[in-house]
Amino acid sequence: MTFDYGGYAGKTLRIDLTKGKIIKEKQSKQRTEKYLGGRGADAKILFDELNPKIDPLHSDNILCISTGPITGLLGPTTGRVNVTTKSPLTDIYGNSNAGSDWGSELKYAGYDNIIIKGKSQKPVYLCIDDKHVELKDASHLWGEGIFETTLELQEELRGFDTKVAAVGPSAEKGVLFCSLIFNLWDAAGRTGTGTVMASKNLKAITVSGTGELKVADPDKYLEIVRDGWQGILNDPGFRSGEHQALGTPICVNWGDALGWLPTRNFRETTFEGADLISGEEFRDKYSTRSSPIPGGRACMSCPNRCKRFGRIESGKYAGTRGSIEFEGIAAFGSKCGVSDLEAVFHAYTLSNDYGMDCISCGNTIALFMELVEEGVIKDEDKLGLKFGNADAMVEMVHRIGNKQGKLGKLGAIGSYKAAQKIGKNALDFTTAVKGIDTIACDPRVAKGFGFTYAISSRGSDHLRTHVVFEMIRMPPEIGKELFGSEGACDLLSYDGKVQLVLWHENLAAVTDSIGSCRFMHGSYYAQYPIPELLGKLHKKKKVNSIKYHDWISAATGMKIDYKKLLEIGHRIINIERAINSRFGIRRKDDMLPKKFTKPIKKGPRKGQSFPKEQLEKMLDEYYTIRGWDLKTGFIKKSELIKLDMKDVLKELEKENLVM
Amino acid sequence: MDLLHFMVIMGRLSITMGKLIFNYENCTGCRACELACSFHKEGVFSPSKSRIKIVRIDEEGLDIPIGCEQCDNAPCLTACPTRALSRNSETNGIILNPDYCIGCKQCMVVCPFGAIHFNEERKIFYKCDLCDGAPECVKWCVTGGIEYCEDIENFSKRKSADRIQHFLLNLPKSTRPIGTGGGKK
Repeated sequence: MTFDYGGYAGKTLRIDLTKGKIIKEKQSKQRTEKYLGGRGADAKILFDELNPKIDPLHSDNILCISTGPITGLLGPTTGRVNVTTKSPLTDIYGNSNAGSDWGSELKYAGYDNIIIKGKSQKPVYLCIDDKHVELKDASHLWGEGIFETTLELQEELRGFDTKVAAVGPSAEKGVLFCSLIFNLWDAAGRTGTGTVMASKNLKAITVSGTGELKVADPDKYLEIVRDGWQGILNDPGFRSGEHQALGTPICVNWGDALGWLPTRNFRETTFEGADLISGEEFRDKYSTRSSPIPGGRACMSCPNRCKRFGRIESGKYAGTRGSIEFEGIAAFGSKCGVSDLEAVFHAYTLSNDYGMDCISCGNTIALFMELVEEGVIKDEDKLGLKFGNADAMVEMVHRIGNKQGKLGKLGAIGSYKAAQKIGKNALDFTTAVKGIDTIACDPRVAKGFGFTYAISSRGSDHLRTHVVFEMIRMPPEIGKELFGSEGACDLLSYDGKVQLVLWHENLAAVTDSIGSCRFMHGSYYAQYPIPELLGKLHKKKKVNSIKYHDWISAATGMKIDYKKLLEIGHRIINIERAINSRFGIRRKDDMLPKKFTKPIKKGPRKGQSFPKEQLEKMLDEYYTIRGWDLKTGFIKKSELIKLDMKDVLKELEKENLVM
Repeated sequence: MDLLHFMVIMGRLSITMGKLIFNYENCTGCRACELACSFHKEGVFSPSKSRIKIVRIDEEGLDIPIGCEQCDNAPCLTACPTRALSRNSETNGIILNPDYCIGCKQCMVVCPFGAIHFNEERKIFYKCDLCDGAPECVKWCVTGGIEYCEDIENFSKRKSADRIQHFLLNLPKSTRPIGTGGGKK
């Protein structure tokens, strides 16, 4: 083993694009002990090396791409790869996470993470082929879409054995919410990671690896991993068919039934056309495979197969194909009031090929539609912008992607900055927290999600916690046992929600840092100690569960128990808070937009809102437990000492960013 | 001694007929089989050291498992000049004896499926041996993409042909270009 701990590939790849220099250095032992890898380690690198004052599109911005210790080691859902940078969309900490098998391949090539700095003179792509790492000319690919770029590079290199991460033409043009897209369909979507990569004149990163990874305790490791797989396969949520049958698009009808499906830019929470854009409709009409898992595709060693591949055979949008996800359907579908699934699917693959984040792109179009209907802006390009106009929606994707026309140019800076630029009362219609727009779940209905949007380190987003506990009707006893309140498992209740969010947030930080997927942490699947508690409740003798602490221990050889696992999560949240403090995030930024403090006007959830007073009360509780100052939102000195983060404390003290 | 017996003794034919069956329709491309195989055989996680391979064709959303079909009239058996390859009469698996192997790569060249891999670093071949009748990849395949059939004689041949034909006929016809229009082309 080249590195002190098992599971890791053991090397860090540093790229200086300005000088064209490539350095391979040994993985930092101390960093992996404290932050594991992935999101945690990236945040530490950013804290240590990034000048917080620079413009995100300046050549000095750092782009970190990293995997975790259990990526590519046969564990369930371990295909994740993390991308971290200073976000051009929000100007704070930007971080996103993608699936596919690119991350695993990077580890087989021998590297845990890549740190990219500088800016190349001319377009290049980074070719990683085991020991051979090279910057190659990419001028022939510049301006090409994700699709052409990826296929061209696969043809040039090792065919299907080459995994490609690429940025699209929109990123080159400087649309602020562009994604870094892995293997055609898996996007590190949010916060504009792709825009940063393109600003460095780096078009793509190709990886193929033939190396091997070892674990510290192979026998025990295999046993734990097998238990994990069994845990998922026996999980009631999995068995009842959510991911088995439909993948994430199941949420369209589900959200409509529970009344949290954002419709017409969050005006309403149920959509009359939900059936027409549902997962069922997609499966029946466009799935490329009929049985037994229609269109199902998986990331590296994942039993979940949440991606659904489909293809439109005829009509206006014939030839459109791709993996579809719920967020994309909701962004271009219900949020824009469009009930034409073909148009939604087409817009989705379009934004993917342009290299844009489908959530931000859809949200921006939805915002413009509402602003036009409310008379705040004029439909200057004469597209017929209004809710439900599918053609206008598709045309807007082209315009934003190419920064074409007045609204296209305006949309390219994202919904929040666009609303700022428009002025008047446009900001009242945005759904942005910390500069990034909200995903497809209404916070006025799902209170745990709502609180998550407010506190997320990267802005309005559910994936920092993913508290689906409240949506799947977990037995109240579990809420009582884990979070001290039966209301924690109730969608509309505020009781116990802070504890629920805290627990999920800590675990989410850990799962992102070890390279495992959000679908596996806590929530409803098989994560310890939930199956154990459910087993006790139903008097079951044997339960299978995913015990992350044992799993990481067996893989790496570190000694981590459940308590320490939560502590590591807490530490990762704190390092992110430290970075954000530098970027100017204070308590006032942990908020919900005005739109969500007003009650819903129509539908079964009529009258629901997330009042400001309630949020402030929850923030007080949350800050107290986190050990943050109630007034400013800075981390307290004592908390950093307790977490053994003295180096961070020293830096923050210099800048007066600690209480 | 009849011809059949003779062939069994010479390691050219087996009595039980084990075989891996690849269900292209069911495979989701999770590559757990690759990792399970390399871990079982080599004690490390490394797809390049796996006996089975998943070709992920992202463009069309296809995932195709490729492994040894343990052919009856196996070209690799015929091509091997040193008899390093022989058939295990208990499992029907064609097995590589590294002691006899001279590394001529003939087997790799003639295999119509590309199921024999050569590792440059270690200078050895990787070839599926059906794990003595309990294939590890099958244990980890949760979608039924790989199945193990112990008695291939009784496996409906027509069914098998139908399945492959159905799969091939339903392959998406056109490939590039995707109609999204980004970029120059």
